[in-house]
Amino acid sequence: MPITSAYSTKALPAAITDLKAQSADAQPRAVICFASAKYDPSALSQQMKAAFPQSCVIGCSTAGELTSGKMLQESVVALFLDAQTVEDVSVAVVENISEGSRVREAFAEFERHFHAPVSSLDIQKHVGLVLVDGLSGAEEGLMEKLGDRADVFFVGGSAGDDLKFQRTHVWVDGKAYTNAALLVLLRLPNGFEIIKTQSCRSIGKVLEASQVDEPQRKIIQFDHKPAIQAYAEAIGVSAGEAPAHFMQHPLGLMIQGEPYVRSPQRVEDEAMRFYCQVREGTKLEVLEATDIVADTRAVIEARKAAGRIAGLIDFGCILRTLQLRSEERCDQYGAIFAGFPAVGFSTYGEEYLGHMNQTSTMLLFR
Amino acid sequence: MAGQIKRMINSIIQKRAKGNPVILETTTCKLILKGLDPALFNERSPDDPTIIVKVLAIAAELGVSV
Repeated sequence: MPITSAYSTKALPAAITDLKAQSADAQPRAVICFASAKYDPSALSQQMKAAFPQSCVIGCSTAGELTSGKMLQESVVALFLDAQTVEDVSVAVVENISEGSRVREAFAEFERHFHAPVSSLDIQKHVGLVLVDGLSGAEEGLMEKLGDRADVFFVGGSAGDDLKFQRTHVWVDGKAYTNAALLVLLRLPNGFEIIKTQSCRSIGKVLEASQVDEPQRKIIQFDHKPAIQAYAEAIGVSAGEAPAHFMQHPLGLMIQGEPYVRSPQRVEDEAMRFYCQVREGTKLEVLEATDIVADTRAVIEARKAAGRIAGLIDFGCILRTLQLRSEERCDQYGAIFAGFPAVGFSTYGEEYLGHMNQTSTMLLFR
Repeated sequence: MAGQIKRMINSIIQKRAKGNPVILETTTCKLILKGLDPALFNERSPDDPTIIVKVLAIAAELGVSV
């Protein structure tokens, strides 16, 4: 059976029955399941595993969901991955990530499962998924360690909790975890693509992070001036007005012409706290937001033109979702993903090579 | 002396990529995310001992010797 997607807005356990009825494959190789924080994570994980006992069932809590053709809230969405698409899968849980990301055991598990070092796996046929507690503040360290150990790409997102900012969860095979990351290694014989897309362009101004508090994701000074003052000058407003422009003017670490977006969160005294870390000495370009719907549609249309999309997972930043909600364009965004099996969720951060904001990272199955 | 940092960075990228152009590109990206931008160094860059220590540490993290 091909990949299929499903969603339900019912309560447990009816939601699971609903999802099961929509699955074309009685026992998919893997089930990716994202759910609103309205669902009890342990109950959801147990009931999903009971419904798909032969499948690897993974997922996380969200701040909004996406399925083929629709953006949703307070729902559960699932992607059923068949055995032809996913030839093999291995999952490892990294617990207590706020105290450091110990990925060695996870890689040992992968090596036992695949009977080969991860470093020897074909990076065109193997890909990693990463789902991580979105309130841990540990994503940068985790992604750096994954990148140190492997050339296989890991793509994913930080779990949400419907903007309550209290507790997020990841789950696998009947259990749910907080303060944890889920690492999933997939063998995809038909290949895949990773998409990283952000709707921002440079306005041609650069700020150097001259004093930072890296663990606190705080920039104290840009260009040796109080951070908010330098930022406000760069976008041409007063320091008092600047926070109202954070979503319109994030900053970007430019790598090979692409921004890795760093979004300001709030002002603390005259420092700026961000949704991800910035290293001292880093030069960041001042960006301005562009049209999320038009940009994302162009990216997906290009991939469609290159060949059939068998399925897709979208890890989309909650800041993008909030912008879409404020512009009443969620229907337009959801429609981009019509016509092929897709799921996604609104994240508290996106992962690909590193940790970033105001971005959609996607895994596209061929 | 000059140019050692550039040579070390090139060595890290080449040893990690082993001729794979995709890994060559992503290793460069990983270095920038670690705060070491290869484009900021060339054959005339001074052999700053502080930066050399940083490059050695990054090489160790990436599992290569330079």
